[in-house]
Amino acid sequence: MVISESRPFLRADGPDKVTGSGRYVADISLTGMAAAKFKYAGMAHGRITKLDLEAARSIPGVYAVLTHKDVPDVRFGAIPDRKLFASDVVRFEGEVVAAVAAIDAATAARAVEAIVVEYEPLPIVDDLEAALDENSPLVHESWADYDADHVVRDRNVASFSSIERGDVEAGMAEADLVVTSRFEADASHAVPIEPRGILAQWEGDRVTIWSSTQVPFQARAGVCETLGLATNKVRIIVPHLGGGFGGKCGFHFEAHVAALARAVRRPVKLVFTREEEFVAPDRRREGMTIDVTSGIRRDGTLVARRGRMLLDNGAYTADADFFPQLAAMHLAGPYKIPNVLIESSLVYTNRQPSGSVRAPTAPQACWALEAHTDELADAVGMDPVAFRRLNAIDSGSVGVVGQTYGEIGLQQCINAAVEEIEYGSDLPPDEAVGVAIGWWPSFPGPSGVYIKIDDDGAGQIITGAQECGTGAVMTIPHIVADELGMQPGDFELIYQDTGAAPYDVGATGSQTLLNNGRAALAGARELARQLKELAAEHLEASTEDIVLQSGEASVVGSPASSVSIVELAAIAADNNLLLAHGSSEVIETPPLVGSTCVGDQGVAAWSAPQFSCHAVRVRLDRDTGVVRVLEVSTAHDSGTIINPLGATGQVEGGVLMGIGQALTEGTRYDEDGRQLNAGLLEYKLQTIADAPTIATRFIEIDTPDAGPHGAKGLAEAPNVATAGAIANAIAKLVGHPIRRLPMTAERVWETL
Amino acid sequence: MRFTKAETVEEALHAMAAGARPIAGGSDLMVAARQGKSPLPESIVAIDRIPALSRMDADERGMRIGAAVSHAQLEVDPRIVADYTALADAAALVGSPATRHVGTIGGNIMNSSPAMDTGAPLVVLDGRVELRSLDRTRQIDISEMWTGPGQSVAAVDELCTAILLPERAPRSGSGYVRLEYRRAMEIAVVGAAASVTLAPDGDLLAAISVALTAVAPTIVSVEIPKEAIGRPVDDDLLDRIAVAASERAQPISDVRASARYRKHIVGVMARRAAASAFGRARGETIGVPLNRTAGIGAP
Ligand SMILES: Cc1cc2nc3c(=O)[nH]c(=O)nc-3n(C[C@H](O)[C@H](O)[C@H](O)COP(=O)(O)OP(=O)(O)OC[C@H]3O[C@@H](n4cnc5c(N)ncnc54)[C@H](O)[C@@H]3O)c2cc1C
Repeated sequence: MVISESRPFLRADGPDKVTGSGRYVADISLTGMAAAKFKYAGMAHGRITKLDLEAARSIPGVYAVLTHKDVPDVRFGAIPDRKLFASDVVRFEGEVVAAVAAIDAATAARAVEAIVVEYEPLPIVDDLEAALDENSPLVHESWADYDADHVVRDRNVASFSSIERGDVEAGMAEADLVVTSRFEADASHAVPIEPRGILAQWEGDRVTIWSSTQVPFQARAGVCETLGLATNKVRIIVPHLGGGFGGKCGFHFEAHVAALARAVRRPVKLVFTREEEFVAPDRRREGMTIDVTSGIRRDGTLVARRGRMLLDNGAYTADADFFPQLAAMHLAGPYKIPNVLIESSLVYTNRQPSGSVRAPTAPQACWALEAHTDELADAVGMDPVAFRRLNAIDSGSVGVVGQTYGEIGLQQCINAAVEEIEYGSDLPPDEAVGVAIGWWPSFPGPSGVYIKIDDDGAGQIITGAQECGTGAVMTIPHIVADELGMQPGDFELIYQDTGAAPYDVGATGSQTLLNNGRAALAGARELARQLKELAAEHLEASTEDIVLQSGEASVVGSPASSVSIVELAAIAADNNLLLAHGSSEVIETPPLVGSTCVGDQGVAAWSAPQFSCHAVRVRLDRDTGVVRVLEVSTAHDSGTIINPLGATGQVEGGVLMGIGQALTEGTRYDEDGRQLNAGLLEYKLQTIADAPTIATRFIEIDTPDAGPHGAKGLAEAPNVATAGAIANAIAKLVGHPIRRLPMTAERVWETL
Repeated sequence: MRFTKAETVEEALHAMAAGARPIAGGSDLMVAARQGKSPLPESIVAIDRIPALSRMDADERGMRIGAAVSHAQLEVDPRIVADYTALADAAALVGSPATRHVGTIGGNIMNSSPAMDTGAPLVVLDGRVELRSLDRTRQIDISEMWTGPGQSVAAVDELCTAILLPERAPRSGSGYVRLEYRRAMEIAVVGAAASVTLAPDGDLLAAISVALTAVAPTIVSVEIPKEAIGRPVDDDLLDRIAVAASERAQPISDVRASARYRKHIVGVMARRAAASAFGRARGETIGVPLNRTAGIGAP
C-alpha cells in the first residue's frame, strides 16, 4: 500500500473540480471561434437520394457545410465499416450526414435545419434473431469487401467467436440434471455528466484539438487515419474530463471538427446536447440475447455448459469486434466446467453502434449467468452460495479455457461478502439477499512517463495517462514520491496532452494504474538512481549505500551524512539533469491450454484476472413491482490496493451504476429504430438519494505479472456482479428470475 | 427580450397587462425553453421577490399560501405538515433539494401539467386559487382550474396570488403518494391524494375525497360511492377506493409505463393514500413524505 492513513490521498484535481475553477472543453473560447453542429440521419436505414446544401450555405453567418465530399474517402473502425460522413446509405439515426460551422450555435442550428436530405427508406434490421436469417436485409451490403481478416464473419454477423473445451454432448449425457435458461438485455448507456465538447484550431499544417476524450492517443490516431495526417501534426489536449465510463473511449468527432476548422480557417467548437450524447457516439452498451444450458450432477458439480449469445453491434463496429469472445467468457464465468461450448455472435443492426462501456459485455452476461446459476442450485436443492463455493475456481484451479490460475481470491471474496451481509439471517417477508460472483481481465499494454526535478527541487511528471475521474492518474505522484522519499505534493502532473507526453492507451480497460503505474515506477527508479549517484558523489559514499527518505539522500547507517534532494537538484541543474523516463514492460498473455476458440480475439486467457462477489439485500413492493436495493456488500480481489480511498470509490460507483443497469436504465426504441428515452428524465440513472449502504472489502493478493506493487485493475470489475446479485434477490422474492434487463418495476410486476 | 423584476403585486399586474409573462422559480419555464418545448416569452416579469407572494398566513378560516411559496417551505411548515399533510407529502417529493428551493406552488399549479405533484393534494383539501388581474380579483375552486395538459381557465394577464385552504374539520387526515422508480429527480408516473374525515365518535367515515395525478389530461377527482359514508375504513372500503380510482383513470402508454400498469398502480396509490389519510385522521403519526414511510419500497 503506497497510500495509507499516515500518508493520505491528495487528489491534485480535486480542488479545481469542487470549486468550479477547473476548465472543461465547453468552457474554452478562442478568438474568432465558430460553432459546429451536425446534421444527423434521423432515420435508422435509408439511401440518400438527395442532399441539397444550398439553402443552408446561403444563410448569413454560415461559414461552411461539409459532407463526405470534403474529406478523404477513408473507412475506419475495428472492422473498417464506417466513414466520417454518410455518402450513400445511412444505417442509424445518429449517423452524421453533414457538418456546419457558423458564427454561433443558433445560426449553425438553423443551417442544419435548412439542409435538405431525402431518403429512400430501407428495411430496418433491429431484431437479433431475424438478422441471422439468410433472407434478412443486410446492414452492410458490401460487408465482404471490408478489410477485416482478424474476425470470423458472415453477412450480418460482424464477428463470431466460440469457446470450446472437452465434449459438451458427452458432458450433457453424463449430467443428472440439465437446466436451460434464456435471457434478454436491453442496451444501455455510459451517461457521463459532461456532454462532450471538441475544439479544433489550425496553425499552419498542425492542428490542436481540445477534446472530451478518455483516449487522447486513440483520438489522435483516428484523426491521422481519416484526414491523412502524421501523428506529429495533430495534438490532442484534454482539459478536465467530466466522466466517461467508456462512452468517451475511441475516436469520435475530432476529425469532423478539425475538417471544419481547416475549411473555415478559424477555430471551431462543437458541444453536444444531452440528447446528442445519447444518440450519436458509437459507445452504447450492447443489447444481448443469451441462451444457456448447463448439465450438473446431483451433488451440484457442473459438468457441461452450452451457450449461444447474440450481441447487438449496432450499425458500425466501433471497437466491439472482440466482444463476442469476452461475452462468452462471462457466460462461462469463473467456474470449473470440463465440457464447454459457447458460441457468440456480434450482429449488425440499424441501431447506434455499441462499444466499450465500463466492463463491456460483462454486467449483462454475468447477470444472465448468475441468475442461471441460482436456477442450477435450486434444481439440486443446494444453497446458491454453497453451489458457488463448490464450482467456482480457486488458486490452482483450471478454468473454462484451460488456464491454470495462480493465487487468486475468489473464494475469499465469496466468504467476505456473505459474511458482511449476514447471509442466511432472518429477513422480513418482502426482503431477500442475492449473491453473484464475477471476474474481469487486466489488460497490460505499453505506457510511458517522463519525470524530472528542476533546480528548486520541484518535480514534474509528464504522463500519457488520461484521468477519467477514477483518480488513477492522481495516484501516480504518490507512486513516484514513494520511490524517491519525497512527497506527492512535490510533483505536478502534466497530462492529457499528446503533444507533451509519451504514449498511453488512455482511460480504458482499467489499465491506467496497471500500466502507467508501472511506467511511473520504472521512471521513478531511474530518477532514484540518478539522485543516488549524485548523492554518492557528493557524500563520497558508494551509490548502493544511499537511501532516499524524507526529502534527503543519506548514507545508510550514518544518517548525519546526508544531503537534501533540493540541494541535489540545484547541483544537477548545472550538470547532468535529473530527467528520467519509464515505460511499462511487456507482460505476456497466458496461452490457451486444452481449449479452442474460433474467432480468437486474445481475450480468453487473462493476465492478472480480477474477481468479485457482490451480495445484495433488496426490498420488493409487491403491489407495484418496485425494487429497492437496501444494502450491498462487496468483496474484490484486485491484487494489492495502492489507494484504498480511490479503490473504495471505484467500487461504490460501480455498484451504483450496476443498480441502475439492473433496475431503471435501459434504452427503449420505437418501431423506426429511434431511441425513445434519449434524455435524463426518461433514462433513469440512479441518484445519490437511491444509494444503498455499500460495504467494501478487498482481498489483497500481491499478484505477479500485474501492475505496480502487485496491483491489478479495478475500474470495471465493480460493475460486473451487481445486477446478477440483484436478480437473484428478486428471484427469491417472486419465485423465478426476471428474464429481461433492466428488471424494471413494470417487468417485475408483470411476472407476479 | 424584456425582463423586469416586480417588487409588488401591482407592479407585476401592470407588467402582465402590458404582455409580460410571470416567472417564479423558473424551473418549468426555463426547462421548457431549453428543451425547445415552448420558447421563452418575449417579455418576462419576475415575481419571486414580491414579499406578499412568499408568505403563509393562518387564521381560524384556514390558510393562505402565497403563490411564490417554495416547495422547500411547504414541506417543513408545521401547520402544513399537521393539517394539510398531503400537500407536505407532495412538496417533499418535488425534484431534488435544489428544485424544491426554487420551485413554487404557484408555478406548479399554473404550469398545469397533469403530472404536477401539488395538484391532487390541493384538490382533496378543497383548495381555492386566487387570481388577480389589473381589473379584478377572483377565486375559483382548484378542481375547476385545469382544462387540459398545460391549459387552465386563467387568462394570460391573471396572476395567481395565493392558494386558500379551508380550515380542516376535526379528525381529518390526508396523504399523497406517487409511483416512483427512483428517489429524486423523478416525475409522477401515477399518483393519488386522499382526504379522510372521521365521525366525531368512533372511526366511521364522515367524508372522503380522492384525486389522481398523471392518469388523465388533468388532475381528476374520483367519485367515491355515497354508501362509503358512515362505514368503517376497512380493507373492503379501501379495495373499493382502489377499484374506483382504477376505473376513473384514462392513462396512456408511453416510455414511462403501459396504460395497463398505470391503471393498476393508480388503484394501489389511491388505496395507500386513503389508508394513510385514515391513519392520520385517527391521530397516528405517519411521517412525511408518505412515499418514504408507507409508499414505494419504503423506507
Ligand atoms: C429537475 C426538476 C424536477 C422537477 N420535479 C418535479 C416534481 O417532482 N413534481 C412536480 O410537480 N414538478 C416538478 N418539476 C417541475 C417544477 O419544478 C414545478 O412545477 C415547480 O413548482 C414550478 O414552479 P416555478 O416557480 O419554478 O415555476 P415557473 O417555471 O417560474 O413557472 C411555471 C409556469 O407558471 C407560470 N407562473 C408561475 N407563477 C405564476 C403565478 N404566480 N401566476 C401565474 N402564472 C405563474 C409561469 O409563467 C410559467 O408558465 C421539476 C422541475 C425540474 C426542473
